[in-house]
Amino acid sequence: MRTKLSTVAAAGAAALLLASCGSGEGGEDTSASGGLTGEGSGESCTIEGEVPIGAVLSLTGAAASYGESQQRGLELAAAELAENDGVTYDLTIEDDQTDPRQAITLFDEFVNDGASLIIGPTLSNAAIQADPIAQDAGVPVLGISNTAAGVTEIGDYIFRDSLTEQAVIPQTIAAATEQFGLEDVVVMYSNDDAFTESGYEAFSAALEEEGVEVSETITFSKSDTDFRALLTQAQESDPDAIVVSALIEAAVPLVTQARELGIDVPIIGGNGFNNPRLMADAGEAAEGVVVGAAWNSSSDNPENQAFLEAYEAEYDAAPDQFAAQAYTGLKLVDQAVRANCSAERDSIQQALGEIEDVPTVLGEFSIDENRDAEHPAVVQVVENGSFAVLE
Amino acid sequence: MLDEYATTLTFIALGAIFAYSFYAVLIAGQLSLGQAGFAALSAFAGAYLAPSPTDVGDVPALLIAVAIGMSVGALAAVVLGLPTMHLRGVFLAIATLGFAEAVRVVLTNQEWTGGAQGLGVPRVLTVGMAWLALGLVAYWFWRMGRSRYGRALEAIREDELAARAMGIDVGRHRLAAFVTAGAVAGLYGVLYAYYVRLIAPDDFDFVAAVEGLVTAVVGGSTMFLGPILGSGFQTIVPEIQRAVGVEAGWIRPFLASLLLLVVILFLPGGLASLIRRRTRLPAGAADDARADAGEGPGRGLAGRHHPAAGEPVVSLSGLGKEYGGVHAVRGVDLEIRAGEVVGLIGPNGAGKTTLVNMISGLVPPSSGTATVLGSTIGRTPVHRIAAAGVSRTFQHSKLFNRLSALENVLVGAHLVSRPTFLRRLLWLPSARRDERAALRQAVRCLDRVGLADRAAARAEALSYGDQRRLEIARALASDPSLLILDEPAAGMNHVEAARLSELITSLARDGLTILFIEHNVGMVLQTCTRVVVLNFGEVIASGAPGEIAADPAVIEAYLGSDEDDAGSAGSGATAAGRDAAPPDAVTNLTPGAAGTLDTPDTTPRNPT
Repeated sequence: MRTKLSTVAAAGAAALLLASCGSGEGGEDTSASGGLTGEGSGESCTIEGEVPIGAVLSLTGAAASYGESQQRGLELAAAELAENDGVTYDLTIEDDQTDPRQAITLFDEFVNDGASLIIGPTLSNAAIQADPIAQDAGVPVLGISNTAAGVTEIGDYIFRDSLTEQAVIPQTIAAATEQFGLEDVVVMYSNDDAFTESGYEAFSAALEEEGVEVSETITFSKSDTDFRALLTQAQESDPDAIVVSALIEAAVPLVTQARELGIDVPIIGGNGFNNPRLMADAGEAAEGVVVGAAWNSSSDNPENQAFLEAYEAEYDAAPDQFAAQAYTGLKLVDQAVRANCSAERDSIQQALGEIEDVPTVLGEFSIDENRDAEHPAVVQVVENGSFAVLE
Repeated sequence: MLDEYATTLTFIALGAIFAYSFYAVLIAGQLSLGQAGFAALSAFAGAYLAPSPTDVGDVPALLIAVAIGMSVGALAAVVLGLPTMHLRGVFLAIATLGFAEAVRVVLTNQEWTGGAQGLGVPRVLTVGMAWLALGLVAYWFWRMGRSRYGRALEAIREDELAARAMGIDVGRHRLAAFVTAGAVAGLYGVLYAYYVRLIAPDDFDFVAAVEGLVTAVVGGSTMFLGPILGSGFQTIVPEIQRAVGVEAGWIRPFLASLLLLVVILFLPGGLASLIRRRTRLPAGAADDARADAGEGPGRGLAGRHHPAAGEPVVSLSGLGKEYGGVHAVRGVDLEIRAGEVVGLIGPNGAGKTTLVNMISGLVPPSSGTATVLGSTIGRTPVHRIAAAGVSRTFQHSKLFNRLSALENVLVGAHLVSRPTFLRRLLWLPSARRDERAALRQAVRCLDRVGLADRAAARAEALSYGDQRRLEIARALASDPSLLILDEPAAGMNHVEAARLSELITSLARDGLTILFIEHNVGMVLQTCTRVVVLNFGEVIASGAPGEIAADPAVIEAYLGSDEDDAGSAGSGATAAGRDAAPPDAVTNLTPGAAGTLDTPDTTPRNPT
């Protein structure tokens, strides 16, 4: 048994070595052959070689639910792009297991293997850890869900198509204040998650800006599911609304339990609430919840309608914002590649920076001077089991 | 070539360093999950307090952070270790896990750590630095392996009680191992922080702790290369899957877990068990030992002061032990003087083992006073009694099962050998001399019980009789003033018992004071200068073997139940008859059944 095992181990190690060498050489080949620059422009652009695009998503681990949505969005976009002539994409989706070490390793591998651009990673923390690798190597990165401050400040190769919480939340609060005449609110957020904590900071700043008083701030853990005691505590100060920064896993029980306790003031949520599961799982209780979002799922622009239809047909489910942003991401990459008709890294980087007023699923889309996304955000309210624009 | 794998190699090194922090305590038999907490505290403290690399340069900044981190880790381990070191097994794991979780929650709620969003740290660490750090850590544990300190930790892992009886201060050693774990975890935390650029409290959560533990166990927790192998395995498995083209998603973690299961099932000792471990017996050690034989403690060993013949070694007065109303031992007055060979006999349940457990410090008496070699029994911990010169064997063999016979005896020599670990780190020749001296002592003791040719065998692989003899060799290695043997002949056949009898006689000739419990009355009468008979916890007779054998009270209490036994004991009363009687004539064990004895009952008879 012992000899057998060690033989297997040796064989495995040898296989790894061979495979790694193989992929390494492959990477050099693509960059050396120069087949990434083509002729023509826009729709007529023709590039001979396949354009290697890497995507680092959290398909397993804590953030798997977002990663899976993103994977669907990317694959849908890739399938549509494959039908266009001229440019073919070789999209490799890899799983970082929600582990920063894996994200760093994957970025390193994509950089070494000659990827023209890297999409991802799913979480902002991982972006701050891994993006510098691409920046140092001069590989453009397009974040499709990073909302934390400072991600694009890493360098001039880092872009994102995801609106930050700082861009969405002030609009949400402004609209809600106007609609409901808010004077004092209770703020609740999970303080052990980077995304919800930065959302809280944005809420807090926006409330101050609007002159709304925060009578109480209550924190909980992202793994909590019983909020009755906290909600009772919130109820005591008799607020005009409850503002919540939480992930969808906490949002559903929180909303349900609030309604059970007879709290019928508006509940205002951040990006984490912008998920079809809110209506699917909380049902009746979700009615009247206000959600600020980067993507207006009910928007009737043709790109969005086409996306909704294609997504439903492919996956038999409604897309969420992560899928929409991922889908948009790959479409933007195609836009950038075709703009200069080149998939060289520097060329994509330059073209991405110049994207302006492109019609997308997210609306008219531009990249601003800080390489952040610029498009209309939307304030939604749940009505009859679906998101409607709050007016 | 190397550049392409720099990231993977760096993570192998980092994972291995973290696994070493688990290895550091696993080697002493402690299961702790607190290392994640130590790493978190150290990473944040190091990254926050150390000066910026732009001010002082990369390497100095990293070194300062490492110094801060290791100190914080070690300090946290002391603070956590003091109240928890008496916990064992899963209780220690839960307590330390609680600590790690508390650290995570506190760090999440602090302003200066950046909360859940984390603390940005410049990347300074290179693959070379990571492997240099790993090399130093591995070197530390490699040199620890064959030092006195390393053997003591392994002995504690194998059998804590026996380790105490060999004079090892278990509490101090366990704490030392824990502090080492804290410092190594601190090193990991800082290096990790200076590589990944951003640390969040969640990077050091329960999952991270379990991963470190798994890495150490998969690699092997009894061999110093284990953590490196484990980390290599854990880091390379995802790489292989990618290279082979397994689709990203749930299937990969599933396959990785399956592979992990296979390794644990087929290599319970971890990957390191693929590496053959040899027990080195330096050429000439055995010859040296024979040349030294009979000269008392060898060169290079701490000499012991033995009481002169006739001086009191053990004085018991009114000694009693009560277990919930049951008097196991009652009002025993006994004095043993240097040079005596005292046999303690009595029917089963008479309190013999309880009495020797009190004398060797394992069980505190409920009443009365006792002084053994100048130490007061009751308040003095076991290892101090051992240090005073008491050495013992156990009724049911308590060997260090996974250590070789030689290593068992080397642990026995703990008290007479000098600490060698720190000198071994520096390769000082004096450490080598001291190790050789301890080795000579061990070989001499093995030789004396006739086990020299079995030195390399694992203790658990020895026959029952050999195990009993090995226990005696181990007890002898500490050059004791008082040797306590608890039923040494149990399970031995005629020939073995006769040889044991000779051994005891020869030890007595060397001036060793011996107290031994034995059911083989023939052997006791033949070997002892004095016999003490216990019944129902009380001394019913004490005197020369001849007197005892003729004492009607003894015959009544101990032997009277069986006429044959009484007859044999009676014949032992005459000098001529004593030789005629076979050594195991009077015994409640059937010698012929020695080979089919049940495995010894390992449940402790006394709570200790």
